[in-house]
Amino acid sequence: MTDSKYHTPEASSLEGRVFRPATANELAEAVELAFDYRGDVTLQLQSGETIEGYLFNRDSTGVRPSVQIYPKGSQGIRQVLYAEVATIAFTGKDTAFGQSWEAWVAKKSSQRRAEAQEATAAAKARGHL
Amino acid sequence: MAVPVSQMYTVATYVLTQKLKGVKRYPLVLMLEPLFRCNLACAGCGKIQYPDHVLDKRLTPEQCWSAAEECGAPMVSIPGGEPLIHPEMPEIVRGLVARKKYVYLCTNAILLERKLDEYAPSKYLTFSIHMDGLRQEHDLAVCRDGVYDVAVRAIRAALKRGFRVTTNTTLFDDANPERVRAFFDEMMTVGVEGMMISPGYSYQKAPDQQNFLKRKKTRELFARILGNRKRTWRFNQSPLFLEFLMGKREYQCTPWGNPTYNIFGWQKPCYLLQDGYTRTFQELLNDTEWDRYGTGRNEKCADCMVHCGYEASAVEDTFGSWSGFGRTIKTTVMPNVQ
Repeated sequence: MTDSKYHTPEASSLEGRVFRPATANELAEAVELAFDYRGDVTLQLQSGETIEGYLFNRDSTGVRPSVQIYPKGSQGIRQVLYAEVATIAFTGKDTAFGQSWEAWVAKKSSQRRAEAQEATAAAKARGHL
Repeated sequence: MAVPVSQMYTVATYVLTQKLKGVKRYPLVLMLEPLFRCNLACAGCGKIQYPDHVLDKRLTPEQCWSAAEECGAPMVSIPGGEPLIHPEMPEIVRGLVARKKYVYLCTNAILLERKLDEYAPSKYLTFSIHMDGLRQEHDLAVCRDGVYDVAVRAIRAALKRGFRVTTNTTLFDDANPERVRAFFDEMMTVGVEGMMISPGYSYQKAPDQQNFLKRKKTRELFARILGNRKRTWRFNQSPLFLEFLMGKREYQCTPWGNPTYNIFGWQKPCYLLQDGYTRTFQELLNDTEWDRYGTGRNEKCADCMVHCGYEASAVEDTFGSWSGFGRTIKTTVMPNVQ
């Protein structure tokens, strides 16, 4: 059984937002938001380096809290210390936004049909149908 | 009896061994998610919303086998995404079967008929077909017309070739009990070995009275579906779990019973919630604050009655005492007796 349906109210998305935490608490909060976000984020490090990718894990405990990212366009996992992070930008598309069952039901049938056709075409293009 | 005797024996001896060893938390079914990419886009599915570069990632056969060996569960369920998209899935399954794991390969069956040649029938391999009801309900649930018919055709083809085939069905509160019962009849006519059912997982922030009603509503729904059960229906799951769904008994969640491994690692705490990942199964067991999860402990768990949290609890009940074992026998033989 693979279904887990989102019935969470979807008032807004973080897509496009940029967080510049001023304190350790603000940074921890921003990391949590990034961890929950179903799109890519861009971290700007104190060193000036930027990393764009999917932040899939974080460990806020211990002496050296860190996040784990799958960088976009490269293999492997990148680990970054909280202390290295200057800003967190929600730069990638929020892939979960608007995907709840309720949102789907609320759509017009023509819109639902169009989305279904789009999904079918995408799966065909990848050779998955 | 839906589950083969050899499988029941394996599970029973495994659980009893854990109990004799005094192991408090043991895995029963490894939920192995080798990829998140799917060829359907079911409305509300919480498993497939990731950026493309994440959807393109897959576990290797070696990672899958290693996870199965590391956690040691006797059964492996392979959901996703759609596992049949994974080009190395036949190899992954062969390796798991060679390790004598009872594999439930969960699929929407769109590709099944085409891929059957790549698999060999075995008592260790079951195709678990996602079927959310009769044609109308299923096609609506998966947001594509025609999928029900494709799946039924694939089930028949797989059965004809000697494969074990079950169905897995997720039901929400808006399900029509009579239609679900008709669906059970239909699946039995098609000839599947057994059916698996579970309520869907839903989570709303800010718990309120409605949340409590939701759990009550779920029980009422399953009581209407499973009450006066037909003798012809076969379920491929714990009879006590079905009783739990009907509100006849209470269980606390045992999320370690169905640990989840995917491209991110071992998922804390369960198949449905994502509170972080660990590199090893032992870290998952040691580092997860298990007491923070379950009914009455976490708002995200308030409504959850899903199989991945509670079926292992039902199995634990079966083997936890002679009375539990007796209840299981009684419920199996006389499901409609109070």
